[in-house]
Amino acid sequence: MPKLWFVIKREYLTRVLTKGFIISTVAIPAFIIGIIVFQFFVAEKQPAHTQTIAIVDEAGQLGDLIESLLTKQKLPDGKPAFAVVQIQEQPRDPQELRAHLTTLTRTRRLSGYLWIPHDILAGERPQFVVRNPGAFMTLETINHAVTNAVIARLLQSKGVSVQNLSTLLHTADVRLIHLTPKGESEEKGQIYAVAIGMATILYGSLLMYGITTMRSVLEEKTTRIMEILISSIQPFELLAGKILGVAAVGLTQFLIWAVSAGLLAAYGLSMARTMGPSDSGFNVHLPPVLLAFGVLYFIGGYFLFASMYAAIGSAVSSEQDAQQLQMPVTLLLVASFFLFSIVMSDPNSPVSIALSMIPFFSPILMVMRIALQTPPLWQIALSLVLLALTTLGVTYASARIYRVGVLMYGKRPSFIELFRWLRYS
Amino acid sequence: MSLEASSDAVIAEGISKRFDSVTAVSKLSLSIRQGALFGLLGPNGAGKTTTLRIIMRVLVPDEGRLRVFGQHLTSSVQNMIGYLPEERGLYPRMKVIDVLVFLASLKGVPEFEARRRGRSWLERLEIGAWAERKVIDLSKGMQQKVQFIAAVLHRPQLLILDEPFAGLDPINAAIIKDIMLEMHDQGTTIILSSHRMEQVEMMCDSICLINAGQKVLDGELQEIKRQYGKNTVRIEYCGDENFLDQPAIIERINRHGAMVEAKLRAGADPQEILKTAVERGVRIRRFELVEPPLNDIFIEKVSEDHA
Repeated sequence: MPKLWFVIKREYLTRVLTKGFIISTVAIPAFIIGIIVFQFFVAEKQPAHTQTIAIVDEAGQLGDLIESLLTKQKLPDGKPAFAVVQIQEQPRDPQELRAHLTTLTRTRRLSGYLWIPHDILAGERPQFVVRNPGAFMTLETINHAVTNAVIARLLQSKGVSVQNLSTLLHTADVRLIHLTPKGESEEKGQIYAVAIGMATILYGSLLMYGITTMRSVLEEKTTRIMEILISSIQPFELLAGKILGVAAVGLTQFLIWAVSAGLLAAYGLSMARTMGPSDSGFNVHLPPVLLAFGVLYFIGGYFLFASMYAAIGSAVSSEQDAQQLQMPVTLLLVASFFLFSIVMSDPNSPVSIALSMIPFFSPILMVMRIALQTPPLWQIALSLVLLALTTLGVTYASARIYRVGVLMYGKRPSFIELFRWLRYS
Repeated sequence: MSLEASSDAVIAEGISKRFDSVTAVSKLSLSIRQGALFGLLGPNGAGKTTTLRIIMRVLVPDEGRLRVFGQHLTSSVQNMIGYLPEERGLYPRMKVIDVLVFLASLKGVPEFEARRRGRSWLERLEIGAWAERKVIDLSKGMQQKVQFIAAVLHRPQLLILDEPFAGLDPINAAIIKDIMLEMHDQGTTIILSSHRMEQVEMMCDSICLINAGQKVLDGELQEIKRQYGKNTVRIEYCGDENFLDQPAIIERINRHGAMVEAKLRAGADPQEILKTAVERGVRIRRFELVEPPLNDIFIEKVSEDHA
């Protein structure tokens, strides 16, 4: 049996049969699900109590309308969302009034106050003053009410009488229909969810398993077992065994997650069937083709990044030095994570196409493009070829650095020194 | 010297290794016959570890030729070598027996066989009860024993030990030494590297002294000593030491507590020292004409070369 096999086996078993593996396998999805559940149940229903709002209408032409629109809003439990107090004493000094309302807001007697300027119909902007800066949901409701009131007044001034505002001003609610190769499907954000989800999983796992590889190499150096190992096995075999072993650990973890997610989904589906048919659900499709590309790019990206991380691990003698030297590699990954908003806004723009060809970015960005809008096959093929060639080149260079690095102890080498190691015999 | 000579375990011809500006080994030639207990000796930083690493192809020499058992170093030759490095370490969080099985499997020993041999070695070195414990739970001395087992478990034909006694207490050093001598008797070629010459000169049958990356001298130990002749007197005495103050006869004195080693000048008669001692009333408990210790030969050779 080749020696490589024993290195893979040891790497795999010593990682999988640990509490750390079990904890991370359970804890990571539990954490993510926990955040989603928390957002759903807590964050979404934040303003669960009636908010008392003061309205100051300088011109006195919109206050009643806004009040009537706001008091129609109901909380999920049926109570009104807003209690509105209109400040009628117009001749008072505006400065003084503002100061008074601010004090009331600060002391929590008011949730906030809405200031309608005199020339609002001419375009002057109203203000909503609150204590809590995160009141986006409230702001949206108020914005809607004020806008509608302004439109109604403007129509009125043109001679259109407004009997029932809500029938006149209902939102058209445009549906987004996405053309897929198989036909049409209504897009409610699920394609973006899949694209962002896959990019996040790829980013997280490339980073996590890359750094695991680096740590593993470093451990063999700091414990000094390295010298025995390379007197028994070629450094390249050792490096390959390590990378493959950690990859096997990662795939095991994915498999556990995929199987449990599949079981959960099947359970959820059967539950849904017993509850009766429903077509309004948030339907997420994960096409097998996309999944296959995801795995393919993960493998390419993993070998690319893991071999760079392994070279870093071999070149240093301590965790602190590793932290510093790994920064450029980690930044490449972080960069592709930040660049994905560019790809998301227009997956087929020249910039997106170029970015998705760069081998250090393609494992994340090309998968996003495939998820969003399948690019021409030649582009996928070209990016895969570029990724494969770069991975081969980088792995070769990493192996050469590794071979020299594993016996070097002491000062952290500079990048110039790493390049010099490439030329050592 | 022919590279194809089959009676030699290791043949090196003119090997050199530089690290950037530092020359660690310079044009070193060696031959180590099969079955030898070979001492690679020299002060700290002389290039011993680099030489050993080159023999095992952990390092590739910049120049020179090397054969181990008449071959280039291949995976099958690697399996014939056992190595105890100077800097020691094991996987701290693995079980002792699992580390041994893993390292043996890298040397081509089947897992079942490695497990059996590993347990019997652990028993022999009196740490059998620790087989299922993690390495990190072991004391430093116990870890050293495990490391030694890892070097011999696959029954190497060439055993390379870099400072094997460093950090061992006398009892464990004696156990390791006995095993080394036993393997030597069974025909294993052993290379022993040390900077403490007096510790290994009793054991080795051939040596190579190196200094600053260069060979100072090498050969069969008895042959080397014979060349230098019995020019040293070992004296144990009671009384005033000024009888040793005879620069015409004694070139240099090494003091070891109650015992001194006096190196004689060429042609000097050791009887003169004895005579002076008796005249001055010094009681002599031991007076022995011996071959010079390796340490002296080394110092002499190095100062000669520098002169």
